[in-house]
Amino acid sequence: MKPLHWLALAALAVLLPWLPGLPLFWVSLACQIGISAIIATGLVVLTGVAGMTSFAQASLMGIGAYATAVLSTNYGLSPWLGLPAALMASLVVALAMGAVTLRLSGHYLALGTIAWSVSLYYLYANLDILGRNDGISGIPPLSIAGWRLIDIRASAVVIGLGLVGAMLTTRHLLDSRWGRAMRALRGGAVAAASVGVELGQARMLAFVYAAVLAGFAGWLFAHLQRAVNPTPFGLVAGIQYLLMAVVGGAAHLPGALLGAILVVLVNNALQDWLPHLVGPGVNAETVVFGLALVLMLQAAPTGLWPLLARKSKPRHHDVTAAALPRTLMPAQGGVALQAINLQRRFGGLVAVADLSFTLYQGELLGLIGPNGAGKSTSFNLLSGVTQPNHGRVELGGRDMTGSSPQDMARCGIARSFQHAKLVQSLTVIENVALGTHLRGAASPVAAVLRRDRAEEARIFAEAAIQLERCGLADLADASATELALGQQRIVEIARALAAGPSVLLLDEPAAGLRHAEKQALAALLRQLRAEGMAILLVEHDMEFVMSLADRLVVMDFGTVIAEGRPQDVRRNPAVIEAYLGGVA
Amino acid sequence: MLTRHRIALLAATIVAGLGFGAARADTIKVGITFSATGPAASLGIPEANSVALFPKQIGGADVEYIMLDDGSDTGRAVANTRKLIDENNVDIIFGSTVSPAAISMVSVAAEKKVPMIAAAASGAIIAPMDDNRHWVFKTPQNDGLMADAIVENMVKQGIKSVAFIGFNDAYGDGWLKEFTRSSKAAGIALVDAEKFARQDTSVTAQTLKMIAAKPQAVLIAGSGPAPALPQRTLKERGYRGLIYQTHGVANTEFLKIGGKDVEGTLLPTGPYLIAEQLPDSNPVKAVALDYKKRYEDKYGAGTASTFGANANDCERLFEAAVPGALAKAKPGTPEFRAALRDGIEGLHGVVLDHGVATMSPTDHNGFDTSARVMVKIENGAWKLLP
Amino acid sequence: MMDTSTLLALVQDGVVNGAIYALLALALVLVFAVTRTIFIPVGEIVSFAALTYAGLDGKTTPPVLALTMGLGLVAFLRGAVKARGRALMILALETLGLPATVTAIVMAVVPMQLGIVANAAIAILCVAPLAPLLYRIAFAPLAEASVLVLLIASVGAHLALSGLGLLVFGPEGARGDAFSDAVLEMGPIILPGQAIWVLAATLATMIGLWAFFRFTLAGAALRATAINRRGARLVGIATDQAGLHAFWLAGLIAAVSGVLIAPLTTIYYDGGFLIGLKGFVAAIVGGLVSYPLAALAAIAVGILESFAAFQASAFKEVIVFAGIIPVLLWRSLRHVSVEDEE
Repeated sequence: MKPLHWLALAALAVLLPWLPGLPLFWVSLACQIGISAIIATGLVVLTGVAGMTSFAQASLMGIGAYATAVLSTNYGLSPWLGLPAALMASLVVALAMGAVTLRLSGHYLALGTIAWSVSLYYLYANLDILGRNDGISGIPPLSIAGWRLIDIRASAVVIGLGLVGAMLTTRHLLDSRWGRAMRALRGGAVAAASVGVELGQARMLAFVYAAVLAGFAGWLFAHLQRAVNPTPFGLVAGIQYLLMAVVGGAAHLPGALLGAILVVLVNNALQDWLPHLVGPGVNAETVVFGLALVLMLQAAPTGLWPLLARKSKPRHHDVTAAALPRTLMPAQGGVALQAINLQRRFGGLVAVADLSFTLYQGELLGLIGPNGAGKSTSFNLLSGVTQPNHGRVELGGRDMTGSSPQDMARCGIARSFQHAKLVQSLTVIENVALGTHLRGAASPVAAVLRRDRAEEARIFAEAAIQLERCGLADLADASATELALGQQRIVEIARALAAGPSVLLLDEPAAGLRHAEKQALAALLRQLRAEGMAILLVEHDMEFVMSLADRLVVMDFGTVIAEGRPQDVRRNPAVIEAYLGGVA
Repeated sequence: MLTRHRIALLAATIVAGLGFGAARADTIKVGITFSATGPAASLGIPEANSVALFPKQIGGADVEYIMLDDGSDTGRAVANTRKLIDENNVDIIFGSTVSPAAISMVSVAAEKKVPMIAAAASGAIIAPMDDNRHWVFKTPQNDGLMADAIVENMVKQGIKSVAFIGFNDAYGDGWLKEFTRSSKAAGIALVDAEKFARQDTSVTAQTLKMIAAKPQAVLIAGSGPAPALPQRTLKERGYRGLIYQTHGVANTEFLKIGGKDVEGTLLPTGPYLIAEQLPDSNPVKAVALDYKKRYEDKYGAGTASTFGANANDCERLFEAAVPGALAKAKPGTPEFRAALRDGIEGLHGVVLDHGVATMSPTDHNGFDTSARVMVKIENGAWKLLP
Repeated sequence: MMDTSTLLALVQDGVVNGAIYALLALALVLVFAVTRTIFIPVGEIVSFAALTYAGLDGKTTPPVLALTMGLGLVAFLRGAVKARGRALMILALETLGLPATVTAIVMAVVPMQLGIVANAAIAILCVAPLAPLLYRIAFAPLAEASVLVLLIASVGAHLALSGLGLLVFGPEGARGDAFSDAVLEMGPIILPGQAIWVLAATLATMIGLWAFFRFTLAGAALRATAINRRGARLVGIATDQAGLHAFWLAGLIAAVSGVLIAPLTTIYYDGGFLIGLKGFVAAIVGGLVSYPLAALAAIAVGILESFAAFQASAFKEVIVFAGIIPVLLWRSLRHVSVEDEE
C-alpha cells in the first residue's frame, strides 16, 4: 500500500465513527475489534512470521493496562504519560521474559508462554498495588486539551488511529532487513545464520515487538474501559487472540484485522441469535463457535486471508542505487581457508576423522568423495554450523575454531546448502536480499520509522545484480516455493554472493540443473574465481567438477585419501578403490 | 431437573422475544447481563431463571426485559452493557453476577447516565461513593455486614483465634479484607490466611498449615459447593474446632455435596434462606416466601436459591422506584433514567427477599443488620440461630 | 516451621495429585506423538467422566450418553462425505453402532445397581468414546496441518465440549462416592482409601500401556507412527488408524482419571481444563516423547504444587508455572542447537 492509502485509512478512522445514523453499539464493537486486531498484529509478527507460538499476549496486554492504570489512578498522572509508561513496561517485561524463555524451542516455547500467562494472571490477582481481583477502577479517560474522550466515538478514533499506526509500523518492520531476518526464523534459520543473522536477536525482536503492541493495546483498553482487573488478561483471553490471528491468516498482516473482525462479529451475532433458538444459559455460543472454528480450519488451514488476497503485483527493482559497502577481496593467491586436523564425532559415529586442506584466494577447490564420506559434515564444520571435537579452522590466517556461523559470515564466508534452504514466505529477490544482512546497518527502530529506505534501495539493487549474474533476474518476484530444485540452489548462490564474501562454500550446486544451466553455472564460477574469490565446491557430478576445479580433495570414511590436480586424482588407485571398490 | 431449567429458560427467552416485538413507546426497557455460563454459572443461572418471574407491567407501564449472558467475563459484561444501552436503549441495567465484571460496568453506566443495580457482592461496586458510583446500586449484602455477623458470633462463643481460607478470587479477597477488619476490632487473632481455587483437587497443604496454627475456629470463604472440600479435609486431618462458612454456600448443592462433613457449620446469610423459620412479624418473610413459591412452582421444589433472590431484589428495587419516575418523565428519556436513579436512592424501608433496604446518597446497598441472620447446618438443613 | 509429619503429608498429597497429572500426561504424550495434536479437550473428558460417575444414582440414564450419541452422529456425517462401501460400513459401526450399543448396555446395567466398581466402568464406557469421535470430527481431516493449526482446532473442540458440558451437566459441581472409606494410618501418614486407588490405578494403567506397546501389533504400529509418521505410512501402517487408536487410549486414560478424582473433590463441567494443563506441563517437561519421564515430571509437579500451596497458597499457580520455566530451559538447551522449526 502507498502512503496515500494509509492516510486514507487514518482519515477513515477519524471520520467514520461520526457517520450520522451509525449505531453506537457498532462503534463499541469496532473498538473491541481495533484493540484485538492490534494484539493480533503482534501475533502475525511473532507467530505467523517468526514461527513462535505465544499464549501470553493477553497477559502482556495486562502489563500495559496496569502500568497506565496505576500511574493515572494512584498517582494522578495524565493518561498520555501512561502511554510511554505502558510501552516501556511491556518492553522491559518482554525483554526479561524473552531472556529466559526465548531459548526454548517449539512446543517448549508455547508452554513457556502458557506458564507466564498463568503466573502473571495470579500475580495481577494477588498484588495489592494492582487492586487484587477487583482490579483498579475509576481510571480517567484520555483527554485532549481538556476535552475528555468519554464518548465511545472519540475512543474509536484513538483506537482506529492506533490500529492504523500499528499496522503501518508492522508493515515497515516486515519490509526491512529485520523483517527478512524474522521471516527466516521460520524454516530458514540455518540459512539466515549462514549470512550472519543473529537468530536470538531476531527472535527477541519479534517477541518484544509483539509485546509492545500488546502493551499499547492494553493502554487503549485501560482508558476505554476505565477499569482493569485480571480476567481480560488470562490464558483464555490469550488463546482468543492467537485464535484470531490463525483464523484470519497468521502469516499475513491483514489477516490480523480480518481475524479480529470475524471473531468479534461472529461472537456478537451468535449472542444475538442463538438464545432465541435455544435459550440462554445453554452456552450454545461457545459450542457453535468451537465447531465453526474447527470446520473453518479444515476448509482453510492457513486462515481466511489467503483465500481473499490477490497475488501481489511484481515490484519494480531499481538497480541504479549505489553499491553496498563491502570488504575488499583479499589478494589473489593468499591463504583463504585452512582446515587443520578437523575431527567430528556424533556419539560413536566418526563423521569426520581427520580433515586438513588449504584453500587459496582465486582458487576453485573441489571436495569429492562417495556418499557418507563426511563432505556435508566438513562443510558444516567449516561454516561454524557444527563445532569440531578436534582440530582448527583458520580464515585468512585467523583462528576461527569454535566460531558461530554468524562470526564466520562476518569474516567473509558464505555458503549454500545441499538441501536448499530458502525462506518460503519470501520472494526470490527477498531471499537474495537476506544475504546482505550484515552489509546493512538499519536498526529495527529505523525500520519501523521508515528511515531505512535509502539502504533498502541499495540492498535490493545489490540483490538484483546478483540475481542477474546468476541468470535468474526473470524470477525475481517469484515465490521461493515456485522454483525448481535446481533453481533454488542457484538462488542460494545469489544469496551467498549478496553477502559479499571472499570465500564461497557450495554444496552440490549443480545437482538438478539441466545441461545449459550447468554451463552457465560453470561460467559464473570461473568468473568469480577470476575476481579472486576462493571457492570450495562439493559436487557429485564428476564431469562438472573435473572440468572446473583447480585442485581436488577426496574424502572417504571421514579422512582425506587424496589431494591434487584433477587429472592426477583421477588416476589415484585409492580414489578408484573408494569410488568403485564397494561395487567391485 | 436440568432439562426443566432449560425449558424454563427457553420459555423466558420466548417471552422476552415476544415482548420485544410488542414494544410500545411507554415501555420501560430493562437490560440484564447475568453470568449464565462460565465459572459463576451456578450463581448466574438461578438469577437468569428469576427473570421469567418478573412482572410484565409496573405502574401501568409495560416492562420489557432483555437478558444477555456475560459468561462471567469482564469484557463481555462491559460489551453487553454498551449493547443494551446503545442498541436496546434500556432505562436500567441489572447485573452482573460477578464483582470484577460489575465494577467494570460502573463507568459505562455512569457515562451513559443509566442506573445500574448489580447482583454481585463486592463493596467496591458502590464504595467509595463518587460521580460514577452515583448511578450504581447493588442488592447482595456487603461482605462487611456478613463478616460482622460472624465475628459477633465468634465473640459470643469465646473464640480468640481464627484461621481463614478463601477463594483466590474477588469473593475470597473481599472476605479476607472485611474479616480482617472486623476480627481485629473484636480482638480476635487471625492466625493464618490461605487461598484455594474452586477447581483445586486438593487443599491438604493449606489445611495442614491452618491446623499447625492451632486456631479455635476456621472460616472458609467460597461460593457454590466447592467450599465443602476444605471442610472435609479439615475433618480428615482431625480438626475439631468450629467451622464457619459464608453466605456463598447458601445453596442446596452445598448441603448435598457436603453431606455429613458440613454438619454443625455456622454461617451468616440473608433471611431469605430460612424464610420459613422467621417469625410472621418479620416483613421479609412474606416477600421471600412469595418469590420462593413462584420460583419453585416454575422450576421445581428445592430449586430456589439465595442468588436468584439477589436478582429478584434488583427487580424489587426497580419496581419500587418506577411509579415515581413515571410521574416525572416518559420511559426511554434521560429524564426518566435520572428520575429512576433518584427514586431508587430515595427508597426507604423497601422490603426485599434479603432484608429491608433504606438507600441514601452514600449507601447504595441500604441493608442494615436485619438483612443477615446466622444459621447452623443441622441434619442436612439450615437452622436459624436465635 | 515444617515438621516431618507435615512434610510426609505434603509429599503424599503431591504424589496422589501428581498421579492424576501423570495419567493425563501419558494421554497427552500419546496423542501428540502419534498425531501432533495437543489434546486440550482431555480436560473435558476428565470432567465428564467424573460428573457421570458422580451422577449415577441407579435410576437415571447418564445424560452424557446423549452427547456420545450426538457426537457419533456428527462424526458419521463428517466421515460419510468421503467414505464409500466397506469403509462406510465400518464408519457407521464405529460412530453409530458403538455409541448405541454402549447406551443399550448402560441402560440395562444402571438399574441393577452393581456397585461402585461397576459404576466406574459405566462412566468410563460412556465417556471414553468421546475422544475417538472427536478425532474423527476435528483432527483426522487436519492430519497434514501444522501443529499450530491443530492446536487451535483443539481449542475449538475444547470450547464446543465445555459448552456442551454445561448443557449436559449444569453449572453445579458434583462429587462421587469414594471407592473405599477405609483410611490407612501409618504413623504420621494418613492414607485415605481413595488415594490408594489412585496410585494403584495409575500404576496399572502405566503397566497396561507398556504391555500394549510391547506386545500388541496395534501398539507397535502406534510406536512406529510416533517415531516416524511418513516412514510408518511407507511400510503400510494406516496412520489415521493409528491416530484413532491413540485417541481411544487417551479417552480411556482420561476417563479413568476422571473417575479417580471424582471422590477427591468437587468437579465442575469446566474443572478439567486446569488439571489437563498440569498434565500438559508434565508432558512437555517429559519432552512429549518419553512416557516414564512425563510420569515422573507429573509427580514432581504434584509435589511442587503441594509445597507451594503450603508456603504461599495465593501464589500456588505462580510458583508451579514459573517453576517449570527453568526446567523447560534446561530441557531445551540439552537438545537444541540451531534448528529449523516446522
